[in-house]
Amino acid sequence: MSLRNQILRLGTGGKIESEAGHINLVTALRDVNLELADGDSIGLIGHNGSGKTTLLRAMAGVYIPISGKVVREGRLATVFEIGAGMDLELSGYDNIVRMGLMMGMTPTQARGCIPDIEEFTELGDFLQLPVRTYSSGMTMRLMFAMATSVEPEILLIDEMFGTGDAGFQEKAHARMRHLIGSSKIFVFASHSHDLLREYCKRIFFLDHGTLREVGLDALGTK
Amino acid sequence: MAVIDFISGPGMADVIQSLKRGRVALYLAWSDTKARYRRSVLGPLWLTLGTAIGVVGLGWLWSELLKIDRATFIPSLTAGLIIWQVLAGCITESASVFVKQGSVIRNLQLPFFLLSLQLVFRHLVNFLHNLVVYIPVVIFLSVPVTWSTLLVVPGVFLLFLNLAWIALLIGLLGSRFRDIEYLLATLMPLLFFLSPVLYRPNYLPFSAHFIWLNPLSHLIEVVRDPLLGVVPPWYVYATVCGMLIVGWCITIALFNTRRNRIAYWV
Repeated sequence: MSLRNQILRLGTGGKIESEAGHINLVTALRDVNLELADGDSIGLIGHNGSGKTTLLRAMAGVYIPISGKVVREGRLATVFEIGAGMDLELSGYDNIVRMGLMMGMTPTQARGCIPDIEEFTELGDFLQLPVRTYSSGMTMRLMFAMATSVEPEILLIDEMFGTGDAGFQEKAHARMRHLIGSSKIFVFASHSHDLLREYCKRIFFLDHGTLREVGLDALGTK
Repeated sequence: MAVIDFISGPGMADVIQSLKRGRVALYLAWSDTKARYRRSVLGPLWLTLGTAIGVVGLGWLWSELLKIDRATFIPSLTAGLIIWQVLAGCITESASVFVKQGSVIRNLQLPFFLLSLQLVFRHLVNFLHNLVVYIPVVIFLSVPVTWSTLLVVPGVFLLFLNLAWIALLIGLLGSRFRDIEYLLATLMPLLFFLSPVLYRPNYLPFSAHFIWLNPLSHLIEVVRDPLLGVVPPWYVYATVCGMLIVGWCITIALFNTRRNRIAYWV
């Protein structure tokens, strides 16, 4: 690897190592120690590829660490890449039940979310049509509503704002605030300092896979 | 010690959790089928129609070519094709089941075996649609319907219990080694001719023992014999039950060690 590449790489990404010649190995997180309790709301910052999403996924139990362990107690909800598992050929209603089941609800619970989502998304009769026919803004509304239709104890959110038109943005923020308020532990990875300042009490900085706490001042002043 | 590790491993926990949510897998399989045939008039009946046309065409042609009586050949061919579609479908699709659902795996907390179950249930739904084709065959070609026909139920049960571990094992290997998907797709046509689908083991001019070395033969016969009104030979049941036990043990042992890596592979 050339010196130029090495220097450029300092800006992004985890540590790339080689194992057995051919296999490339990326060490995304190293020596992360973190204990969160009820009432904590954490903001994660760091440049692209610093490990924010990986850390959130490790907290969620998607990625199981190779050394060390993650202990988690409480009902969990995640808002990562929303819309995963949605089937565009199915109607909005079918997708609500489908996503609910995938998120661990029973069929009755999943159907129970329908009135709330109907009201929040304002999609009306469109919910009977296949999601394929929706505009991208409408799809985002539905995906956002589905992802946030649970009341978790632990809430993990990966950067995902910028949903729909101005009126809906306002509604989405209100819903987020409600969700964050009702959850006991909240972790939020974002590049938006305004949002972090609004929602989080503590800020952690990820740098090439190592985590350290920085004060709220690290976000700068408005 | 080894037994405790086996039972308390992450793979075993995943399988148990998936089985508890079996209804979810069934619902997802059904909604997959609905989504696939959305906007078509006949919907899933296309599956039935496709099989019917295959059976009529192949049945007429091959019975002429092989000079076999149609009344014995067509029922066995129909049953064979219906079962083969399930086998081939499950085996080839399971290689990419985790890869295709990668975004689900990375973003939701689903047990992985649930995705394999979803695949197997989808093929069960297809199988039941295809089974309709067999009914006119029974009526018009007077296939004997006896008490042994009831053995279809345990036969189908054993077939799908075996397919569940096969789907999980291939899915696990396929998510790490992407060549497996293409390898299986290449091998399936060959296996089609090496398995008793077009013929019965006793039609073979040479020793039929050779065909019984193929484990798929046993999986086919355990359902087909009862469909034809015959009790399958004891060694078919022995092999199928043996595969079930050994297969699940190997799969869970491997799944225990590798389950937690899948999210990194997909």
